[in-house]
Amino acid sequence: MKKTGFLAVVCAIVMLSGVSGYSADTIKVGVPLAETGAYAGSGDNYWKGIDMAINEINKGGGLLGKQLEVVRFDSQEFAPEVVMQGANYLCGKMKVASVHAGWAGWGQDIRAYGKYDAPFFCDDGAMPAVDVYKSNPEKYSNTYFITDTGGDQANSMFSMLTALPYEYPNKKIVIINTDDAWGMEVGDTLSKRFKKIGWKVAKRETVPYGTNEWGPILTKIRRINPAIIHIEIPSSQEVITFFRQFIKQPTNSILSYGWSITPLEVLTTLGKDADGIVGEMPAGMPAPKAPNSKSQAWVDQYMSIYKHPVPAGSWIAYTSVMAWADAVKAVGDEYDFKAVNKHLKEAGYEGLQGRIKFGENNTLHAQPAAPIVHYQVQDGKLVALFTDPPLKPYGDYKFQVPRWIKK
Amino acid sequence: MFLEIVDVFISGLINGSVYALMAVGLTLVYGVTKAFNFAYGSFYNLGGYFAWLLLIPLTVVGGYYSVFFLAVPFFFIVGYLLEKVLIAPLRKYDDWEMKVMMLTLGLSLFMDFGYQSVFGPRIKSLPSIIDGTVEIGKVVLFQQDIVIFILSVSGMLCFGWVLNNTRTGMAVQAVAQNPAGAQIVGIPKDFIFAATFAISTIMVGFGGILLCQKNFVDPMGSTDIMIKAWVITAFGGMGSIRGSLYAAFILGMLEAFVGWYFGMIHVQIATLTLLLVTLAIRPQGLMGRE
Amino acid sequence: MSLKRMVVILVGFYCLMGVMPLFFGGTDYIMNILIMILIWAVVASCWDVIMGFAGIFSFGQVAFYVVGAYASAILSVSLHVPPVYAILLAAVITGLFGVLVGLPCLKLAGPYVALVTFAVHMTLVPFLRGPMGRAIGSGGAQGILTVPPVSLFGMTFSSEHLVPFFYLTLFLTIICTIILVLVIKSYWGTAFLALKDSENFAASLGISAFKYKLMVFGLTSFITGLFGALYAHYVGMLSTRMLSMDVFTILMIMIVIGGIGKYPGVVVGAVITVTLNQFLAPMGMYRPLIMGAIVVVLVLFLRDGLVNPIIRLISSRQKAGRTGEYLS
Repeated sequence: MKKTGFLAVVCAIVMLSGVSGYSADTIKVGVPLAETGAYAGSGDNYWKGIDMAINEINKGGGLLGKQLEVVRFDSQEFAPEVVMQGANYLCGKMKVASVHAGWAGWGQDIRAYGKYDAPFFCDDGAMPAVDVYKSNPEKYSNTYFITDTGGDQANSMFSMLTALPYEYPNKKIVIINTDDAWGMEVGDTLSKRFKKIGWKVAKRETVPYGTNEWGPILTKIRRINPAIIHIEIPSSQEVITFFRQFIKQPTNSILSYGWSITPLEVLTTLGKDADGIVGEMPAGMPAPKAPNSKSQAWVDQYMSIYKHPVPAGSWIAYTSVMAWADAVKAVGDEYDFKAVNKHLKEAGYEGLQGRIKFGENNTLHAQPAAPIVHYQVQDGKLVALFTDPPLKPYGDYKFQVPRWIKK
Repeated sequence: MFLEIVDVFISGLINGSVYALMAVGLTLVYGVTKAFNFAYGSFYNLGGYFAWLLLIPLTVVGGYYSVFFLAVPFFFIVGYLLEKVLIAPLRKYDDWEMKVMMLTLGLSLFMDFGYQSVFGPRIKSLPSIIDGTVEIGKVVLFQQDIVIFILSVSGMLCFGWVLNNTRTGMAVQAVAQNPAGAQIVGIPKDFIFAATFAISTIMVGFGGILLCQKNFVDPMGSTDIMIKAWVITAFGGMGSIRGSLYAAFILGMLEAFVGWYFGMIHVQIATLTLLLVTLAIRPQGLMGRE
Repeated sequence: MSLKRMVVILVGFYCLMGVMPLFFGGTDYIMNILIMILIWAVVASCWDVIMGFAGIFSFGQVAFYVVGAYASAILSVSLHVPPVYAILLAAVITGLFGVLVGLPCLKLAGPYVALVTFAVHMTLVPFLRGPMGRAIGSGGAQGILTVPPVSLFGMTFSSEHLVPFFYLTLFLTIICTIILVLVIKSYWGTAFLALKDSENFAASLGISAFKYKLMVFGLTSFITGLFGALYAHYVGMLSTRMLSMDVFTILMIMIVIGGIGKYPGVVVGAVITVTLNQFLAPMGMYRPLIMGAIVVVLVLFLRDGLVNPIIRLISSRQKAGRTGEYLS
């Protein structure tokens, strides 16, 4: 009988130790992304950028003469133990040389990967994650936030909304956000900023993910008839159903979608119906015309591979892989984490839109080389109106008053 | 104010009709066969993917007419086979009710992630059955919502008629009330079990097509649907079709009014609290028999 | 299963687990798996005792686990209770919670118990995520990210000190296992078997089903809560994702592999399931797909789980072997 337990344990050991075939002629890169579950769409966007960068490096002869090898891990919906499992698997077991994660959590990821030294690039965009970093900057020094936090992005949205060449009929705003760290942060910041300049936050609604029936909320919105409705839900279903139900009896409001404009499905599903909605993308690539020919070539290449416009996250995920590869090349040893981290922090990286540099809290704050881009949907496409910082109009593109606003 | 309440009421009514359509199948299966199907939500998604496959990649002639026409035999066969292959063999165990719950829970995991591996993790959208709005005074309605309401209510009436007026329907009721007695009078119990399961699969498949064309086909959407259908079934009384009808409309209204008055964040907790209180006081639900 | 055989298997298992850190102490990845095996083994055993022995068809096991975890985390983060006391308090709270849930539902017939307990499970999600949860310190959708590690006798037990934490868990696991074995083999256990065979007959002998069920429900909730709390201080972070169907199904697979009411099969079930789940993790979406298929196949083809038939096979061979020797 002892044998049974013994057998099971032996099986377990064999299974655990069997997979760690370790070869030195490739460089392993860890990619923990949400492949399943609610965030799988955003995970897919990051993956496309990362995959493109890795293929490009490999086609160009690899890094330090070695090919890059991707090790993927499904971080599902970022349950803490799953994220920790991923860190232990990628860094502890597979000994990857860097980790490119995209949106990886709201702090649990920083703790899990902070135990190791390999550079960890994440796009958490939420204050709680930065707070974890700040609790021990020494230990978490391998963490790189590749976009600003929700609060900073909301400040930029506020500047854009007040800078729009449009006269608001009243000073009432309705803010709808999700119940997670990201949504609350954006909602709080926006409502604080608008109150300060004398606006009234006529309704602030926090909704759970999966809200598809907007009737009760829209009923209230119609009575308020606000000048701005801001929606901050980083998931496509909810914002599409909201728009469809809003448009059947619209109010004279600017629809500001914030980051929620970026999930791929919003535009592929709504198409030209969505014309007029405004939104933003942090560390984004201005469109439809890229700022320079190098960027334009990249955008064209992206479109030819994936057959759709560049969604949020793809470009910056691509750039962070390239930035890491650049640092490794400069250092000459992919496992000299100390030197790689030092180079990344001090030298930055000459990206497509200019030299990017990580600033305070190892965050890639909005900067001319990785700007927050504010778009409006025109003719079914994202059209950049502003880039920030500094907030300035982009190209010759002009704001159009949405068709549902009656004079 | 009055107009607002009318608006919210209509919203609740439409919610209720959809919930009723979804929950009635689950109730029926439990009432007749005493098998609780945890994979119910995954069949809802199967409806969505079925419609998507026919309409988008295959561009079937006739559009939604063909989808609905083909859905009946398709879901009947799927449901019938599943019952015969997976559920029926378990009946020989004395703890089979537990085993059915476990098996269907595993099945739902398998199906949900099967969709993801076959169709990808991103959501899919279906063309609307009908677009446009109707204005009655100051109230604006989606034609889509009206179609959903009419189809689900007539579906339910049709189902009630079958249950009360056809031989098969009456046989189903007989098995539900007294399986042993039904067998003695020569009703083929095993066939009725499988047929009931198949009918419930048709109902949830239709619910899936109707709702997915309004919202989306979401590979992970089945859990939400499962919970909704489950709450309604438990609240209305396990196995009571009339009970689950009432429960569906009560919950639809509750959701709409709680969302409107207190905020959307309180909707889920309100429905589940109502369920918990009901179960604590009256475990058989609104209309269930013990 | 005889007491002797049960004890032999369990002692063998825990001795083996006890020496594992000698080989894998330096490998975080494997130590983490070993710790999770210990934790899940106890949680799954509790469920087995509830379902297999007490015959209570409860679907609330994950809920109790989460209640324990959150209770301890909230106590230590918001009220600054030292983790050791927080864990014990959380276990007591979960035990009381178990009794509270048990009071209305244990008198009900099988499927209704499943309904009520599963409703409790589902209510926890919006409760902990929503404003009410935030008011008591659950951290809402974001969860609790800074659960302090356990310190005892000047030592720190956490995910950064895996070997000490492993032995702390092993110690608690052994204590709880002894309690569970005592329950199964005690007067209670016998009473339960009687109840399962014929409730009416047992009642005529003066065995009150309700009283015993409530007692066992409270006790297993206590133990489950204890391990939930321990887990909270181990990972240091909590979120409502713990209540997802994925976790629920994994726990169920342990029982299905081990066989319902075939204690300690479920312990081996935990070993296999946790290892398999970790092993499949790099496969992304195929992991839950495979796990789901395993449940379907096992439920369909294995009456008593995977472990029991193997044991029977081995013991029958041994017997055959011995008879062989005897004859020659």
